[in-house]
Amino acid sequence: MSGVVVRGLTKSYGPVHALRAIDMVVEPGDFAVLLGPSGCGKSTLLNAIAGLDDIGAGSVEIGGVDVTPREPSERGIAMVFQSYALYPTMTVRRNLSFGLRVRSVPKTEIERRVAWVSELLQIGGLLDRKPSQLSGGQRQRVAIGRALVQQAKVFLLDEPLSNLDAKLRAEMRVELKRLHQSLAATIIYVTHDQIEAMTLATRIAVMRDGRIEQYATPDVLYERPATLFVAGFVGSSGMNFLPGSLGRASMPVARIEADAIPLDGYPFRAPFADGGKVIFGIRPEHVSFADHERGGPIIEAETLFIEPMGADTLGWFQYGSQRISARLSPQCARGLSGKVRLALDIGQVSLFDPTTEQRL
Amino acid sequence: MPAADRVHYRARPFRAAVRIRNFAAKAVLSPTVLLMLVCFYGCALWTAYLSVTRSALLPNYQFAGLLQYVRLFATPRWNVAWSNMFLFGVLDILGTLGLGVLLAVLIDRQVRFEGAFRTIFLYPLSISFIVTGLTWQWVLSPTIGFQNFVRGLGWRDFVFDWITRPDRAIYTLVFAGVWHQSGLIMAIMLAGLRGIDREIWRATRIEAIPPWRVYLSIVLPMLRPLLVTCIVLIAIAVVKSYDLVVAMTGGGPGYASDLPGKFVVDFAFERANIGQASAAAAVMLGSVLTVLAPYLYLELSRRDR
Amino acid sequence: MSAVAAPARIGRLGLYAFLAATAIFFAIPLLVVISTSLKSLNEISDFSIFVPPSSPDLAAWWKAWHAACTGLNCGGVHVGFWNSVRILIPSVTLSVLAGALNGYALSLWRVPGANLILLALLLGAFIPYQVILYPLVKITSTIGIYSSLPGIIAVHILFSLPVMTLLFRNFYSGLPDELVKAARVDGAGFWRIFVSVMLPLSINILIVATILQTTGIWNDYLLGLIFAGRENQPMTVQLNAIATTSTGEIEYNVNMAAALLTALPPLFVYFVSGRFFVRGITAGAVKG
Repeated sequence: MSGVVVRGLTKSYGPVHALRAIDMVVEPGDFAVLLGPSGCGKSTLLNAIAGLDDIGAGSVEIGGVDVTPREPSERGIAMVFQSYALYPTMTVRRNLSFGLRVRSVPKTEIERRVAWVSELLQIGGLLDRKPSQLSGGQRQRVAIGRALVQQAKVFLLDEPLSNLDAKLRAEMRVELKRLHQSLAATIIYVTHDQIEAMTLATRIAVMRDGRIEQYATPDVLYERPATLFVAGFVGSSGMNFLPGSLGRASMPVARIEADAIPLDGYPFRAPFADGGKVIFGIRPEHVSFADHERGGPIIEAETLFIEPMGADTLGWFQYGSQRISARLSPQCARGLSGKVRLALDIGQVSLFDPTTEQRL
Repeated sequence: MPAADRVHYRARPFRAAVRIRNFAAKAVLSPTVLLMLVCFYGCALWTAYLSVTRSALLPNYQFAGLLQYVRLFATPRWNVAWSNMFLFGVLDILGTLGLGVLLAVLIDRQVRFEGAFRTIFLYPLSISFIVTGLTWQWVLSPTIGFQNFVRGLGWRDFVFDWITRPDRAIYTLVFAGVWHQSGLIMAIMLAGLRGIDREIWRATRIEAIPPWRVYLSIVLPMLRPLLVTCIVLIAIAVVKSYDLVVAMTGGGPGYASDLPGKFVVDFAFERANIGQASAAAAVMLGSVLTVLAPYLYLELSRRDR
Repeated sequence: MSAVAAPARIGRLGLYAFLAATAIFFAIPLLVVISTSLKSLNEISDFSIFVPPSSPDLAAWWKAWHAACTGLNCGGVHVGFWNSVRILIPSVTLSVLAGALNGYALSLWRVPGANLILLALLLGAFIPYQVILYPLVKITSTIGIYSSLPGIIAVHILFSLPVMTLLFRNFYSGLPDELVKAARVDGAGFWRIFVSVMLPLSINILIVATILQTTGIWNDYLLGLIFAGRENQPMTVQLNAIATTSTGEIEYNVNMAAALLTALPPLFVYFVSGRFFVRGITAGAVKG
């Protein structure tokens, strides 16, 4: 088990800045996920840590050793690729053992490791087949097996589940979590799917335009997003963003539409200017009907439409010039129309500065 | 015009038009199909039939069984030509493939001046076999060529007169063949190498597999179908060889470097023995089919899968 | 920022050394022929052809063009040159056109037995000339075009049909057939679609086909020898006759100049066309 420390990593493709002075610490045993939309630099960062691409500036440490000048094969890493990159003309057994044979690992040791990996990933029956004879999920497990067999210090996975269908992806998520726990391995994982990130990670780095916007545990990311982008990216049903301004009466208030919503107890990071613009963020699950005695400030809104989503239902309401969504139970949502009174859970609110997009 | 009649009137020209359009396609293809049937397959059958008749100077359509073939394989010149084809063929394939694949691999390693190298390796393909044969005849000539040059440098006893020796002349064709065709193999294999998934290369970098091992154990086996295609192409070119022999050695000295392709033409026109020429041509066709049949079978079954 | 280790650098050097050596092997025959063609006869017999000329001049080239002898005729290769041109132009244009039409018809229109036709073409592309030579001579002389310009042109077109058809067919198969369907809905027919829709999209493949045909037909020897007739002998045939006449002293410089003159047109096409040439030979090679 080793940790990974990235300092000031910078990479550009001509005028395009793919990575801007990235700093990141992955503790030994962490499952760190690099999450973001395409083009944010997450795969570039992973390749830089692996040593597959040159970097402009900065350093990479693995297990306390500076590996920046080293080739990928000398860094103690193993990698699983999006397209699995299995050697097509070799059987599964040879795919797993080829790298070890080239490194002159003794035959008995090779056989031991292959047996261990086959048992762990349930691919024993596939050992004599070729990749073209395997299903997508099977190929994926072989690719993971090939990475495990090398007994590396750090495992890098580049969107390994994106080529699988939804059901298989869900199954493999569970597999990966189980593997992480039983192997206690250090894993760095790239994905654009925030559900994957939230379920698998111990810590998530949300990236945009070559920068890490926030690097924190899933809970913190969800409850206290550091920027507007993180707030909107993380969480299945999007956070409501209501623009308004801040005021100071007997306590801080947010002036949104016609209301003055008390912000009693909100942990401001710094003193704010009276009248300063603000974006009031609240997740649909923290908006409910006022009659349900949830407490908190109450606003009035007009029903627009209902989005049934199985276990829950998302209700959309017109609040002044804004739209606001609330998560409701299907029973409450049935037959809903007209004016409603919604209660807001202030303890779960996030306030952002519209210009800096930072959390207040 | 009443509505019903209007619809009917419009429908008829459309149906006729559909027939016309497909008719045009068939009409365009018919001459080609006809020519293929008559000139390629019909004539091949004609030749095959002539090979089992009593034809000599003039065609004689009396059936004669395998007479021509027996006579053919009793002819010393044919046996030389026939065995030459295998000698030349194997060496040419090994040389062309070996050099072509090697050049493709080297250029795949991201060399600079790739454009210049490719230009030099491919230009022989634009040169006719006549010019190729003549050029190599001059280069390997003992009097004005390589032997003369090395002797001029001081090695007075240096000998390289293969092109004038009956037992070695056929091997000189290999020089010219490799020089001419390696570029083609290089171009084909380079295209194949460039089509390899780059993630496989990255996986090998992480597993510490040296590049030469990657080519040998992973990449070239992946390109096996392409290699087979290359072998088939060179093999068939060897069977068809005519221009190269004529220009380089004239089949000589004597008939020591003769090849079936030249044998057929000589016997059909100069020697005027239609029966023997047809038998030899039929053997040539048989050789091509022997090389082609397994290849096509593999290709088609691969496609179906 | 990754450093290249010393062993790797040596390996790199070895790579370039091998490529350079091979390049020299490829270039030498051409250089030798060029240099010898610029020498006088005395120089050739005194030294080998690998030594550069002391005072290069184009006398041999002039003689090759105007006065080289094939047997009794001493007219020079310019005769063969113009013969080749007269054979080349109709053969190339007609064979490319035929291939384009055939490929278009086969790939984008419903034709019964299309797969069978393709297989027959593929096999036909591999049949050696020698197998059908004598019967073809019989057929062409019966029709009356044996040993004539129309005869050699017809034979060239015949032998080009398989490769050209397959080349264009593969190209047109790669185009979306919604194009044809859309045009048909608009009311266009077979010919209209070909001229207005397909041809404009085919510029690249037409260039490739033309280069392939030009090189193949200009460099042909056997068909020209048999079917062209004495007055129409192409340059390659004339060249071989000149170079293999063994009467008297062999004028190597003239022979080499003649060889270069014969090789120049396709060489020029090659150097000018670059990527299209490569596409042509690889596509012509990987048929079907």
